[in-house]
Amino acid sequence: MNDPINVLTLFLFNIVLVNIPLLYGTVGEIVVEKSGSLDLGVEGTMAVGAIFGYLAGCAANSIAVGLLVSFLTAGLCGLLFAALTVSLQANQNVTGLTITTFGLGLYFFVGKGMGERWPAMTSASSLVNGYAALEIPGLSKLPVIGKALFSHNFLVYLGIGIAVLVWLYLNCTKTGLRLRAVGENPGAADSVGVNTLLYKYAHLILGSGIMGLGGFYMALYMSGSFEGSNCWINGYGWIAIALVIFANWSPVLAILGTLVFGFFNTLQIYAGPLAGAFPGALGWLNAIPPQLYKALPFLITAIVLVASSVRKRESSGQPAALGLNYFREER
Amino acid sequence: MKSRQPLFHVVKRDQAGPGRQLAAYVAAVVLALAVGAVLLLIQGVEPFTFYRQLITMGIPGSRYPWRSVENFIKLFVPLLITSLALALAFKMRFWNIGGEGQFIMGAFWAGFAAMQLGETLPRPLMVLVMALCGALGGGLYGVFVAALKVKWGTNETLLTLMLNYVALYFLQYFAETKTDWNFFLDPGSARPKFAKFPANAQMITISIGPFNLNLSLIIAVGLCVLLYIYLNYTKRGYEIAVVGDSPNTARYAGMKVGRIVIRTIFLSAALIGLAGAFQASSAGVLSTSITNDVGWTGVVVAWLAKLNTVGIVAASLLITVLQYGCQTASTTYPSIDANFANLLQGVILFIVLAADFFTRFKLVPRGRREAVK
Repeated sequence: MNDPINVLTLFLFNIVLVNIPLLYGTVGEIVVEKSGSLDLGVEGTMAVGAIFGYLAGCAANSIAVGLLVSFLTAGLCGLLFAALTVSLQANQNVTGLTITTFGLGLYFFVGKGMGERWPAMTSASSLVNGYAALEIPGLSKLPVIGKALFSHNFLVYLGIGIAVLVWLYLNCTKTGLRLRAVGENPGAADSVGVNTLLYKYAHLILGSGIMGLGGFYMALYMSGSFEGSNCWINGYGWIAIALVIFANWSPVLAILGTLVFGFFNTLQIYAGPLAGAFPGALGWLNAIPPQLYKALPFLITAIVLVASSVRKRESSGQPAALGLNYFREER
Repeated sequence: MKSRQPLFHVVKRDQAGPGRQLAAYVAAVVLALAVGAVLLLIQGVEPFTFYRQLITMGIPGSRYPWRSVENFIKLFVPLLITSLALALAFKMRFWNIGGEGQFIMGAFWAGFAAMQLGETLPRPLMVLVMALCGALGGGLYGVFVAALKVKWGTNETLLTLMLNYVALYFLQYFAETKTDWNFFLDPGSARPKFAKFPANAQMITISIGPFNLNLSLIIAVGLCVLLYIYLNYTKRGYEIAVVGDSPNTARYAGMKVGRIVIRTIFLSAALIGLAGAFQASSAGVLSTSITNDVGWTGVVVAWLAKLNTVGIVAASLLITVLQYGCQTASTTYPSIDANFANLLQGVILFIVLAADFFTRFKLVPRGRREAVK
């Protein structure tokens, strides 16, 4: 256990394992933000997807049902956001925050209401098997890297796959191009015949659904044990909003960003073991307060935000119409 | 071009009558309670008994009814002040969602003052110093975002959001680090634990028979009146409204928009810091959950009240009744707690947001063209 290589391997392994839900949340939020909506309800959306996905997955003893239900219930949160902000012109910040309040309220209400009837994950073999590690033939035999990167559960690979697919979709397809146009300037997109209403609705639902999958992952990672005081999502939704900015609205950069944020996130737990394993090179890690690691993702993002506003980069991926409602009659 | 017109189109309404708005609110609360009742039934809880207990907040039949009122006030005051302060920023279309962070900073610096000076200063002076430290701490934490926004157009929504967590982990650091210099902690406890403030740093209460009136309530009510006058009858309050409606108009009229933004956000954040200081000295101890989510709930309240000062008093009363009521009712219904209040709160706001549309806009059926303004 105290073998330095072993500690390092476990550290790298956990960076991926623990933080992939962030990637789901971030990619979902990128899809949403690219359509011009700033949805601050990620935390609530993920919580809703997590609890309903988990309960449905357990009831049906099927990981596919769990994934589907988490996607759909989280998608409903997106639909609600779309109905309120796109059709009914409600303020996006307020609506998003309300979705978080509501989603977390619902999460605890359902969880506590289940009481004794709460299903244990061990009773749903499909979930346990679905979450088991898949060793990728050949690659997983590599030293250190093999365990760290190539022997994870399939949801890890799915998350990375979704991120790459969304990147391709945004940058290499006609629909993706139109979507970006809607986010940049809905009036212009509308005038060339793009159905802005449909685009906003569809991508809010799709993006929120992806966040829900991240919630489901979190449920499995926590082995489905419900606690009355702490939500499974535990602030990941907020970090995801930060990560969108850090990744400059690119799903592929989000993979990298997840690893960077994940690095600090995991260092919180692994600082001690790492310092023990490499007393010479990493002994100083023990001197750093763990709260700094928790604050770092937000601190870094704040700096990125300020720096990018100072430099006014042309290459910023932030959609120009982000957070602004589009009122057609005012074109 | 094809003449395929939509079924109806949306036109802005000039002015919605207050009756219409009030009706929307009543409908929202009733509908939310109905949704809640259905959810309660699913959980096997009898809704009428539950709601009766929620509204009475366990006061009748209690052996210490005044204690309940005192606790209610402790929840109500921070929410009221925070909502008022947030509304001030929102009026200017400055999306200060950093209430949590500013509140924490206010509580932290008030706690700092309490631990350093609590033994030496007399009580009234101590409470005043804590209030000032809190207001300054919160205010500076907010105004720095406003300065960045004015100078470089930094997105204030996202920045204040990030700073909430920076403040939270900053406070957590002091809560969890046991060292010699950390005077915030209780030296008698082996595990890190915030120490209680010295007696002089506890909020002043005025005894009326068995009831101890928390001084912060009187100050909060005074603040409501002052802010109402400030917003409606002073030049500076008027400037806030103009900048909110159109910064360009304000600039054209010769107003110094940057200065107005910085001044107002400092005021807004300082009030939130003040609420934090009051909360800290009423509780008599710091805690990492000291905000009780008022930074978030305040946004809901401010929006429910349409940023109107009188409305904010009503809305924060309503939300506090929901929260405190659910909290007390949970002693009889273990499966339901303050989270049920969040759920109801969410439903109410969803309905109000939806209803807003029909007070701001109207639908004109196809074929009937009205002059669009």
